[in-house]
Amino acid sequence: MSLLEFDFMRRALVAAVLVGLAAPAIGTFLVQRKLSLMGDGIGHIALTGVALGFLLGTAPVLTAIVVAIAGAVAIELVRERGRASGDVALALLFYGGIAGGVLLIGLAPGGTNATLVGYLFGSLSSVTGTDLVVIVALSVAVLAVVTVFARELFAVCQDEEVARVSGLPVRFLNILVAVSAAVTVTVAMRVVGLLLVSALMVVPVATSQQLTRSFRATLLGACLVGAVASVSGLVVAFYADVAPGAATVVLALGGFLVAVLLGSARRLVAR
Amino acid sequence: MTAPVFDLTGGQVVLGGRRILDDVDVRVQAGEFVAVLGANGSGKTTLVRALVGLVPLAAGRLELFGTPLRSFRDWPRLGYVPQRLAVGGGVPATVGEVVASGRTGRVSRLRRFSKDDRRAVTHALEDVGLADRVHDAVATLSGGQQQRVLIARALAGEPEVLVLDEPTAGVDADSQDTLAGALGHLSNAGGSVVLVAHELGPLAGLIGRAVVLSHGRVVSDGPPPQPEGHHADPHHVHLHAHEGLPPQRAGFGLT
Repeated sequence: MSLLEFDFMRRALVAAVLVGLAAPAIGTFLVQRKLSLMGDGIGHIALTGVALGFLLGTAPVLTAIVVAIAGAVAIELVRERGRASGDVALALLFYGGIAGGVLLIGLAPGGTNATLVGYLFGSLSSVTGTDLVVIVALSVAVLAVVTVFARELFAVCQDEEVARVSGLPVRFLNILVAVSAAVTVTVAMRVVGLLLVSALMVVPVATSQQLTRSFRATLLGACLVGAVASVSGLVVAFYADVAPGAATVVLALGGFLVAVLLGSARRLVAR
Repeated sequence: MTAPVFDLTGGQVVLGGRRILDDVDVRVQAGEFVAVLGANGSGKTTLVRALVGLVPLAAGRLELFGTPLRSFRDWPRLGYVPQRLAVGGGVPATVGEVVASGRTGRVSRLRRFSKDDRRAVTHALEDVGLADRVHDAVATLSGGQQQRVLIARALAGEPEVLVLDEPTAGVDADSQDTLAGALGHLSNAGGSVVLVAHELGPLAGLIGRAVVLSHGRVVSDGPPPQPEGHHADPHHVHLHAHEGLPPQRAGFGLT
């Protein structure tokens, strides 16, 4: 395969596989608790973090992670206190994140909105060796969290009150989900961009659940769909010279349509 | 003598500036089967939610198994079945997965489910008559069957006391009978049950004590009221509305 001759493509492929696995893994728990748009909210907040990085002259990815985690934990605490519904809390993050990002980039020396575009839509081909180390480490960390805490996260996302009465550390687990989602968003922003991050967390789950009955199968199926979509998105982007993030999401949505048709066909046959 | 399962004294709950419970004393001993009765809005649900620690007390004192709520850690001794119309969750899950999640509090993080854990899950499913549905998606079950799944989830943790919020609301007659059977088993094995009910149905024979609430206060606490006259007919319909409520079917004149 000629695309493997390029260093930047080999790095991009490794990043795509790992992000393709990690984003749907944490996304499954967000969908289970009906917070599908949480990834989007965190993505918007991360934009403020990116701009802050430019303003301070530090690595934008680093500030993006810090700000995204702070935003995700804030949304979780607001939700827990019942001060605002998850829905309204998300809306606040959307607006605050975009406005903050555009405001701060204007203050940064030489910064314009164009600086942010690479982060909004992803720039997988610009992944450096150092970036790759960070992406690998963080994706593996997210996958480890999901594996170790799967049983407890399932219980909490299924029914928070029952989990509380059965003595599970509910607040810790909620914050763990929020932090993992924030880390996933900032890692995935290189692959698909902040505006499409949530698609990689949600669409594979929606695709997988058309064909599954169990939570376990949905989670594993979503990871498979995510990895296949992001790798094939990258390959399509390489040969067709289009944006990899957009190609990945369009392919994932295509997969969703196929899964809906297969699921309906199976239900008709079963009848 | 063992400490009571629940010991609430002078319990007061304030939610959103409104006093929902006031000066409530409720003590439940091990092995008791208690029904919490009262009209809509009398504070039944809030009382059981306060007993399991989900609603904070504005005043008063609560002990669980002789330990003050603040320092109570032995949560697997409790099972809680909230009032839900359906099992919920945005991702498909099988009956087996949901019921097994009720055992999470008993199994440490890095351990796999042992034989005993799996046996407890199977036993809970058998108790509610859903053992043959273990691999089915919860969403494909009827409302009554989903209610049974929620009860099996609590039973899978092998609790000493089960707290249920309106387990019979909107549940078909078959499911109500199965539920009564499962609670009967738990009670016969020495377990305690506290349940909120609007309508007792097949549970009536199991209840040893009724706590009746009205406007957030306990107005009666003792043996369950016996149905009399035409109220004794389990199929009788309340055509005369109580406290402005619409007419409803009831086994007792307490609704």
